[in-house]
Amino acid sequence: MIDVQNLTKRYGQATVVDDLTFTARAGTVTGFLGPNGAGKSTTMRMMLALTRPDAGRVRIHGRTYRELKYPLTQVGALLETAAPHPSLRAEDHLSWLARSNAIPRRRVEAVLETVGLAGAARQRIGTFSLGMGQRLGLAAALLGDPPVLVLDEPGNGLDPEGMRWVRELLRGMAAEGRTVFVSSHLLSEMSVVADHLVVIREGRLLADTGTGDFIRRHGRTYVRVRTPEPGLLAHELEQKGASLTMAADGSLKVTGLPAGDISRLAAVHAVPLEELSVHTGSLEDIFLGLVGTEGVREGNNHV
Amino acid sequence: MSEIVPALRAELAKIRGVRSTSVTLALFAAFSILLAALGGWSARTAIDSHNPRLRADFTAAQAGLDGILYGQLALIVFGVLVVSSEYGSGMMRVSLLAVPLRGRLYTAKMLAAGVMTAGVAIPVTVVSYLVTQTALGPHGTGIGAEGVPRALAGAVVYLTLMCLFAVGTASIARNAVIPLAVLLPMVFIGSQLLSALGLTKDLARLLPDQAGARMLEVGSHQAFSGFAVMLVWTAAITALGYLRHLRWDN
Repeated sequence: MIDVQNLTKRYGQATVVDDLTFTARAGTVTGFLGPNGAGKSTTMRMMLALTRPDAGRVRIHGRTYRELKYPLTQVGALLETAAPHPSLRAEDHLSWLARSNAIPRRRVEAVLETVGLAGAARQRIGTFSLGMGQRLGLAAALLGDPPVLVLDEPGNGLDPEGMRWVRELLRGMAAEGRTVFVSSHLLSEMSVVADHLVVIREGRLLADTGTGDFIRRHGRTYVRVRTPEPGLLAHELEQKGASLTMAADGSLKVTGLPAGDISRLAAVHAVPLEELSVHTGSLEDIFLGLVGTEGVREGNNHV
Repeated sequence: MSEIVPALRAELAKIRGVRSTSVTLALFAAFSILLAALGGWSARTAIDSHNPRLRADFTAAQAGLDGILYGQLALIVFGVLVVSSEYGSGMMRVSLLAVPLRGRLYTAKMLAAGVMTAGVAIPVTVVSYLVTQTALGPHGTGIGAEGVPRALAGAVVYLTLMCLFAVGTASIARNAVIPLAVLLPMVFIGSQLLSALGLTKDLARLLPDQAGARMLEVGSHQAFSGFAVMLVWTAAITALGYLRHLRWDN
């Protein structure tokens, strides 16, 4: 469990992290969500004692990171700016990390296997692709078999297959009872992996709530429908209580009715459909919506 | 406190694994021994041909210690790279994640650089000496000659302190360029120039490398005071480097 209390960081005049308080619980994947520049990385660096907070504190299982004995066996971390030396071989990098925290040597082979880099063990890290580098970072985080994971944008640089693999890995880790704290700037990515969301913007907490709840409340999901008979369909949709707008290209943007219902409705009235697609508003849209209505924002501030 | 041992083992593994540090350490050995051979060979030629350009104070024993004085160039680069390679690549953050207590990490790094240097300097110093004597042929002298064992031991201490001095300087600068631009000219031009000018002879003796060089002089009476001056320098630079390391916030 990670307990963040009143965490604040200022750089000169700018307050990058502003009085953040939240908790990441064991057995769940907690998504740390915010647009780029929201203060996610700074918060994570403070959790890991790389950056000194101006106020507040972070406790991991009741202790600060510096108080942890052999921290790699208690917290596995992945940070974008914490990169291994490019001239090291993958295996040598994990090997010195293992030594530093008295981790058994066999863990090096085990984690290389887990992340799919066993074949590149003797390769110098500088020759790695972005995705391989990311996998090596994950291997380093898993090395000490830690009960807590703190991962900054673990999907970065991975192909869709790699993304799915990371999702399954994180779900599996949480299912084993570990605390998984993972940042992202993409709601779509978080919505499929996180149980709980901590959402920040400009260093301030916007929401600390269950993922489903957050999306239900703020996720601007709509269905785009294209048909040669928009007038007829629009009439029927409104009858069913959906709200809709006509886009410039003649397609309908429907909210309040699931795609399946729209499809059935169209079939019943023999309206041909040329397109029926589900869209989720981007996180930025949600943020704009959140800050646009100050009341909504306050309502979600579970401090 | 037991956690310092794993931290030290990790630092040693890093030095071996990172290419630039392992290569510079190997270069130190290669340079020293090669120059020891060249020095011995050219001195022998000079003696045999009664070349007047041979130094008046030439002794076979002292010549056996010349090679490492040039080899130390690579050792200084090594000491700087031990630190700068980490700040330059982002690995310092990985290191701090593994060993978050900064005092412990810094101590482990210093110890690793010192242990590594001493471990390489002992055989290199002895081999360089023997190589020079072999190259001198009939003019050479033995390793047990008066004052030689102490000078060889002094050389190992000097090289180790010089490396730690470089590690400390790089910790202050957090990069390689500034410490190399200061240290290499200091050792190879600055101090020599100051001593050569004569005007600031006493001052030059207080420079770390000039003071420390007394330890390498066969039969010098200033070996201990030279050691003391160099130790104070190294301790001061190491302490400053530690303060800078503590304050690194990133």
